[in-house]
Amino acid sequence: MKKKSKYSDGIFPPLKKLLMIMKLCFILLLLSLLQVSAEVYGQNTLLSLKMQNATIAEVFDRIEDQTDFYFFYNRDEFNDKEIVNVDFTNKSIHGILDEILVGKLLAYKIIGNNILIKVKDPLENETLQQGSLSGKVTDPSGAPLPGVTVVVKGSVRGSITDSEGRYSLANVSSDAILVFSFVGMGTQEIPVAGRPVINISMTEELVGLEEVVAVGYGTQKKETLTGSVVNVAGEELKKSPAPNVSSSLSGRLPGLIVNQRSGEPGRDDPSILIRGYGTFDSDPDDGIDNSSPLIIIDGVERSYMSRLNPEDIESISVLKDASAAIYGARAANGVILITTRKGAVGKPVFNFSFNSAFQHPTKVPDMLDAATFAEVYNEGYWYRSGRPASDYTPFYTDAVIQKYRDGSDPVLYPNTDWIKEVMKPYSMQNRMNFQVAGGTENVKYLLSFGTMTQNGGYRHNPTDYEQYNLRSNVDIQLNKNLSIGANVNAIIIDKKYANVETWINFNNIIIANPTLVARYPNGLIGPGRLGENPLVLDQRGYDRTRETPINSTFTASYKIPFVKGLRIDGSFNYDVNNTFEKVLEKPYYYYEYNVNTQEYEKKEGTGQTTIEVTDTYNKWTTMLYNYKLVYDRTFGKHHVGAMVGQEQQKNTWSYVMAYRKNFVSSAIAEINVGSTASDDKNNGGSSSETARNNYFGRFNYDYSSKYLAEFVFRYDGSQNFPEGKRYGFFPAGSVGWRLSEEPFFRGALPYVDQLKLRFSLGQTGNDKVASYQYMQSYSFGNNYVFGASDVPGIYSNTMPNPDITWERSTKWDLGLDASLWKGLLGLELTVFNEKRSDILATRNLSIPGTLGFADLPDENIGKVDNHGFELKLSHRNTIDKLVYRIEGNMSFAKSKIVYMDETPATEAYANQTGHPVNAGLYYKADGIFNTQEELDDYPHASGTQIGDLKILDLNGDEEIDSDDQYRFGYTATPQIVFGLNASFEYKNIDLSLFFQGQTKAYHYDGQFVALGTSDFDNAFVARAKDRWTVDNPNGTMPRTDAYQPGNSTFFLYDATFVRLKTAELGYTLPKVIASKAGLSDVRVYVSGFNLLTWAKEIKWEDPELSGDALYYPQQRVINLGINVKF
Amino acid sequence: MIFSLISCSDSILDITPQDRISDDSVWSDENLINAYHTELYNCILHGFNGVHMQSKATDEANNCMSWGVNIIVNGTLSPDNVTDLTVTDWHGGCNLYYWNKAYKYIRKINLFLEKMETITIADQAKLVAEAKFLRAYIYFQLIERFGGVPIVNQTYELGTDVTFTSSTFDECVNFIDQDLTDAIATDELPDSYAATDTEFGRATKDACLALRSRVYLYAASALFDTDTNGKSTVKWQKAADAAKAVIDRNAYTLYADYRKCFILPSGSANSEVIFSRNFTTNNGHNAPMYNLGRRYGAYGGFSASNGPSQNLVDDYDMLNGETPFIWVNGVKTSNPASGYDPQHPYWNRDPRLDATVIRDSTVYRGDLHEMWIASDGNSWGYDSYKQSSDNPRGNYLIKKFMPEADMEISWNTTCTIPWPIFRLGEIYLNYAEAEFELGDETTCREYINKVRARVGMPGLPSTVTGETLRQRLYNERRIELAFEEHRYWDVRRWKIAMDIENRPIYGMDVIKNLTTGVKTYTPVKLLERTFTEQNYLLPIATDEIKKNGGSLLQSVTWRE
Repeated sequence: MKKKSKYSDGIFPPLKKLLMIMKLCFILLLLSLLQVSAEVYGQNTLLSLKMQNATIAEVFDRIEDQTDFYFFYNRDEFNDKEIVNVDFTNKSIHGILDEILVGKLLAYKIIGNNILIKVKDPLENETLQQGSLSGKVTDPSGAPLPGVTVVVKGSVRGSITDSEGRYSLANVSSDAILVFSFVGMGTQEIPVAGRPVINISMTEELVGLEEVVAVGYGTQKKETLTGSVVNVAGEELKKSPAPNVSSSLSGRLPGLIVNQRSGEPGRDDPSILIRGYGTFDSDPDDGIDNSSPLIIIDGVERSYMSRLNPEDIESISVLKDASAAIYGARAANGVILITTRKGAVGKPVFNFSFNSAFQHPTKVPDMLDAATFAEVYNEGYWYRSGRPASDYTPFYTDAVIQKYRDGSDPVLYPNTDWIKEVMKPYSMQNRMNFQVAGGTENVKYLLSFGTMTQNGGYRHNPTDYEQYNLRSNVDIQLNKNLSIGANVNAIIIDKKYANVETWINFNNIIIANPTLVARYPNGLIGPGRLGENPLVLDQRGYDRTRETPINSTFTASYKIPFVKGLRIDGSFNYDVNNTFEKVLEKPYYYYEYNVNTQEYEKKEGTGQTTIEVTDTYNKWTTMLYNYKLVYDRTFGKHHVGAMVGQEQQKNTWSYVMAYRKNFVSSAIAEINVGSTASDDKNNGGSSSETARNNYFGRFNYDYSSKYLAEFVFRYDGSQNFPEGKRYGFFPAGSVGWRLSEEPFFRGALPYVDQLKLRFSLGQTGNDKVASYQYMQSYSFGNNYVFGASDVPGIYSNTMPNPDITWERSTKWDLGLDASLWKGLLGLELTVFNEKRSDILATRNLSIPGTLGFADLPDENIGKVDNHGFELKLSHRNTIDKLVYRIEGNMSFAKSKIVYMDETPATEAYANQTGHPVNAGLYYKADGIFNTQEELDDYPHASGTQIGDLKILDLNGDEEIDSDDQYRFGYTATPQIVFGLNASFEYKNIDLSLFFQGQTKAYHYDGQFVALGTSDFDNAFVARAKDRWTVDNPNGTMPRTDAYQPGNSTFFLYDATFVRLKTAELGYTLPKVIASKAGLSDVRVYVSGFNLLTWAKEIKWEDPELSGDALYYPQQRVINLGINVKF
Repeated sequence: MIFSLISCSDSILDITPQDRISDDSVWSDENLINAYHTELYNCILHGFNGVHMQSKATDEANNCMSWGVNIIVNGTLSPDNVTDLTVTDWHGGCNLYYWNKAYKYIRKINLFLEKMETITIADQAKLVAEAKFLRAYIYFQLIERFGGVPIVNQTYELGTDVTFTSSTFDECVNFIDQDLTDAIATDELPDSYAATDTEFGRATKDACLALRSRVYLYAASALFDTDTNGKSTVKWQKAADAAKAVIDRNAYTLYADYRKCFILPSGSANSEVIFSRNFTTNNGHNAPMYNLGRRYGAYGGFSASNGPSQNLVDDYDMLNGETPFIWVNGVKTSNPASGYDPQHPYWNRDPRLDATVIRDSTVYRGDLHEMWIASDGNSWGYDSYKQSSDNPRGNYLIKKFMPEADMEISWNTTCTIPWPIFRLGEIYLNYAEAEFELGDETTCREYINKVRARVGMPGLPSTVTGETLRQRLYNERRIELAFEEHRYWDVRRWKIAMDIENRPIYGMDVIKNLTTGVKTYTPVKLLERTFTEQNYLLPIATDEIKKNGGSLLQSVTWRE
């Protein structure tokens, strides 16, 4: 039977065509991005070519040089060594190719000016060559497996299995070794041993056993790892349709606490903590988050982790323990290492995926309707007028309330649901990725292009987000000893927002008075709260930012020829990020109904009277180089690894700003069109530089992979500190013992596949504080006006602290990793303890204001202990054709401030010392004063009325004052987070469910507390329901306009929740069918993010909030996707 | 290779910051020293901070917002929450809790004075004199709030172990007086700058004298002169002399147009102002947008919380010189002799009413303000609270400091109307008060009448004497200086706050009969207020007391 070649007509010609087009689109896109001239070269153009003893590849190169044609081919696929002689004059490209490819196993196809060269199916030829070898590759179920790469080891020769799983190779020597590889399957090396036919069955790769984990300036086999490192494969992250990579991490990695506090497109980066707070931030307003982990992307501290293309991520590792000491001064809060994907030996694999998703808020709060709002406000108004028994006019009369209730007059007495009016029922999110990867032993490449678009969830609001990710990752083996690589990544981010800040916007949505018209029945837009109706935001201009971070990493590795196992690795990295922000502000209009003229009057909003443009340009650069000497060798049972290196880094930042107003029109929103009057323009600018210098190293030793030891260090210098205090030494050591490798253990407990004990101990640092605190400095600003002009001023910055230096963290970790019954049960348990000392904090809490100091500098004065554990259990099994995996993890971290500079409180229970970091002060509430007697019987603060909270007199002094506040034991950061991941595969169907949650977290929402205090703040239904009133004296919620002397525990709610974070159901087209369409893999899926949430107490808003309810809510995403490989 | 391109030394860490100046450069560069000195002036407060004017803490306005200064109004002020009143707080500090800012600037001034002992620069004596004026100004702000406070006259370095004890009120007054005396004695300060001068706003001898007038007036008042309860003739004589010293300079005259006096942009000629805080468009304020109503897209004082009260409106005299109401022992009755007509409440009133308050039927910026509601409740004037919650419930808007139509108002136009600190009108009333306490009622009436004459009000006749004269004197100050941050302090230093600050705040309902066009006026109670004896002074924050480890005592009225 004659086999059909891969590119001959299959059963799905239209699909094949589509794929071809997509492939070409992608190629063309890449070409145009590389700014190659795209002039179309006619197929009829005549060429002249003369070459002697050239390889076919050289001929192709020459044609490329002479013309605009490009060849696409895989050198593996044809015999590169074949020598041809060519001599053509004025011949068409067809003519040339027909002639040189005659008799070769090669076919070509010209599409535009691209020429695809492919290997003809060898079986098409009637006769097989002598010494040839063939066979069939099957998957574990016995089905043919197309697309498997078969390479003769040590050569560039190879083939790929066809749709029937067949391959054949010519001229294979009988002592050769064949290497079979396929994504997701274990690579197999099979000696030919003279056989003419080799059939093999590929087996699924056992993830976790031979897993390699990035550990900072290197990788290690998971089985011999001694540090506390967890990692997640990019494949896992891809399952989440969240628009933001970081939020997909939540619950996946034990020890990582990820809280997403906003769902706004492009502004939804979550907060990430490793093992909670080990330090405290004494100045939360300085913009420096001193608790966040160090994020290293491809070897360099880089931002935009959230904005990476999930398809580009190979793996994410988290260094939680002292082994992070190799990152020294920045490692105390843990390190997140992201490694991006690289090409692998094999034919080019094209991977295309397209996702389209609907998103809408997980939970929007239920706010009061107009009639209830009016009643509630009346109550507050009555209390504020002193609860008069008579001679009193309510703010809203009964007749008015009735109109709000019955909706009889929607113009004057509307009942507006602002959330419904402003928020769309759903918005769209689209993601498209195109990736090609492949390579030979000499050159491996991965090119990837991705786009993501996300619409804002509002009506009439310019919010829109677009992201493009481009990556080119190439590794070249120049010769036996020298290899180089380049990994260049660019992200283009276009963000468009309203020029009104989101929280203000949500003030105007969520707590807007429901008695205000959003939109009149005739469709005209009304003024809204404070004349700032969110429905006019699209008229008001925009805040548009384009960010273009470009990260480049160039690496070189040289094996030193005379010393076995020694090599030198170097990398040079240059990152540049430009952001350009344009804020356009325009006059805008709304309509207002005039009760006297009964007309809708068009009014100009007062926010803006002229057209104004502000352009801001920021540029950041990072230049980093490092080199390291690496030694890795095995002497019998002794395996020795050593690495030492140096790294230097320089960062710069500069910015300029230009502003003009009084533009004639907004048609051209460019600065030069604005008014040139000197009062109508302004500009600004600044710059800064930071630098680092350090030396680091790692030494490993293991005996027979049984006894493991490691030592890492970093000698780190930071310019944040004064000379003499700049450098710090951060060492860490760890040991491991793989009991399962001991013969006595194997004998006694044969069902234990893996059992490892590990321990690490070391010291890391933290220097996340403002620079230059060691010197007294002044900044320009605080101008004062004399006469009618501004006179410049200067003011002193923080008081100097000449002794400022590193914050230090000493940690130990004790861990146990086990795998039993061939993966039926996996277990990882880690217990940790951290002592943070020399914490950089200010003495604000103890220094009298009377001293009059300017802002105080950070001093090395705090101490915090942090401890906890992480547990991961996994179960993996195959029952008949059902392959499933269940993995659960849980982490617990609890901090305690051992010393912080605070004024001792009168009552010890109010001190921060002894309590978790960020623990708040609360009055303890004990219900409500329901009656006058109850109020009279118990001490209360002045201002307390019946219907208010009963605040406990904790110190029993018969007075309610600040001494009755106590330090609450929990914070908004959960002490316990957990995740449960279950995945199932049955034949071609796969399902994965991922649950995530938190507990031991409490949240106080000040907005929730407010009820009826002001005429333009709406309140929560949950707050108003069953409130105390004269007619409801047994109400369970405090009265309207309730008084409390400070935040009380009454409104402190348990933020425990469990979420079905992601779920994905996929169907993979049978390989037989897919391959007939010229594809190796086709998968369609539906997935979701934040699908279901169960909250213990906070049921009226998303329980993952931080602060108050006035923010862009977290999004639920329902996604449809297709993934195609060919 | 690549690495050789970059230097490999540790000197990479030696970076000179690009965005700040070192200490050494500051004190060796005269321009920078001048800039440092200029910045000291930021200790001077003004009433246009954020969205809240101090009137909300007094009976000048109806405060109905729930944060910040609300604790003064509802009587829940305590050492625990007094920092809610931080002067810089946008949320309603209303220039009250000045402690931390004051001592920050005191340290800056002390540092300047210390540096000037070792450095010689041009105009040194003048700059030192200005700094001393500023220190005196700060201390006065502190003692009117807290009574006696710690006197800090040197800088301390970080790490110095020092705690503070309050000096007595009188010691503080002496310290202030010494600074003022030193400032004047250098003879480097000019007597005055014209309001049009580019230097206007800097300390002058006259500013020193004006400050001294106020300091002595306060020192002689009942709240602070605790020994004699305000009966010390020595102190009143000093107060009288200090005021007279300014008056005798004959450098100032009352600005003829009372309305215009408070809406001239910074840099305009104004014969009355001795010292003010000026603004520019780049360094201006947004008071109009925070205080006017919905008609201008403004916030009505935010939460419509700075609407003038009926209490204030009631206290404007009739054109015939009579008061519309008479208060006897806290009971209010109408004064038949005044001719006040409750159904035409704005007829024949002191012109300062219409210069200070926008009410129903006021034409402001060419717009007729309509605060009425139809008797059937189904229609209303555009400026009524029914139209928008940005229009105050009490149906009055502040007009003082609010510009006329010649100045644009919007959220992105900053206003440059200055904040008056010392003006001749106040000095006249300081003098009148001191002379009254000294028993010279004739001089008292003479100076009150000068102030009244400016707006065409008849003078107080010689029949007004004794306690009646005191009431009229106090009321004149209330009316003339309304919204200028005097009322809060005056009712306290006179020790009349137990009465005044416990009175509810009223507004005015204007009901219009659409058929007849007739409007009826009904005062409406809006707010209960609570004032107790301890509120005569502000407490020092609990934290500050604790940080001083027991050596700093709480303000006198807050001691247990």
